[in-house]
Amino acid sequence: MARFFFDSGDRDLVLQDEIGVECAGIEEVRRAGFEGLVDLTRDALKSVDGQQLFVEVRDENGDKILRLSLSLQIRSLR
Amino acid sequence: MPPTSSSDTLIRKLQTISDIREADIAVLKTIPIQEKDFSASHDLVREGDRPVYSFVVLDGLVGSTKYTGDGKRQITSFFVAGDIPDLHGLHLSVMDCNFSTLTPARMGFMRHDVLRNLCYQHPRIATAFWRSTLIDAAIYREWVTNVGRREAYTRMAHILCELIFRLKSVGRIQDHVADIPITQAALGDALGLSTVHVNRTLQELRREGLIATTGSRVHAIDWPGLTHAGDFDTTYLHQGNPAA
Repeated sequence: MARFFFDSGDRDLVLQDEIGVECAGIEEVRRAGFEGLVDLTRDALKSVDGQQLFVEVRDENGDKILRLSLSLQIRSLR
Repeated sequence: MPPTSSSDTLIRKLQTISDIREADIAVLKTIPIQEKDFSASHDLVREGDRPVYSFVVLDGLVGSTKYTGDGKRQITSFFVAGDIPDLHGLHLSVMDCNFSTLTPARMGFMRHDVLRNLCYQHPRIATAFWRSTLIDAAIYREWVTNVGRREAYTRMAHILCELIFRLKSVGRIQDHVADIPITQAALGDALGLSTVHVNRTLQELRREGLIATTGSRVHAIDWPGLTHAGDFDTTYLHQGNPAA
């Protein structure tokens, strides 16, 4: 098990994960990051075209190893 | 300071929620209580069990838990020193949830037949026990609202307020500093949040200057601010002597 840090936010504000999460491997990191992004979306997604939300994962050495993001697009169809 | 005996822990809690008198206290002191220590994450009672004992929490933190069909755990309530989490087992013979230690903890087990006889003979004690289970139910209602309708930041602040308030009311903490040595995963299971989002939410509360954390110690440095952030109103905990 190793500890990974999941920073998250949008363009304006990034919150650093100071606690970290123990994960057994990259698959588990990816799953934890995805679940975090889903929760972040519920909390932080505003009705703003182009808003982007992300979770970025660092390992214990501080190296970035994974980024999960999504962005909202709102287009009028008429 | 923590009370010295298991009876004292039970009596202190009942005094905060009911109007038991000296005579009742003397009777409560006669209940044989079998003490036992447990490590964290130990199942004390499982769904489907038919226990013949109820237990009072003497030290540590206990959670009631339920599992979904695909194995996801929801912690449905916390229990602190003095609480009797499975008191409903006195009348509902088959357990409909699990009770597990969330930290190392000490329990005091009391036989159902002893408690039943006590209730038949001492109506004020029966009322105190009834109030205890009613307040547990009020806490469950609050938690449904918390998990179902509050956003993560408010949800986290609320649960921290509740824990600190309950620990304080049974004399386990003096100020607004509580040692809450539960895992982030357990906090997530209580809040219906992923571990990653639990970390983010704690970080937000720190950033707003509402809490400071050192290891498992949570310090509410701005108690009014935290109660405001947590949408926390103590009415549902029904503290105070109801005799009036």
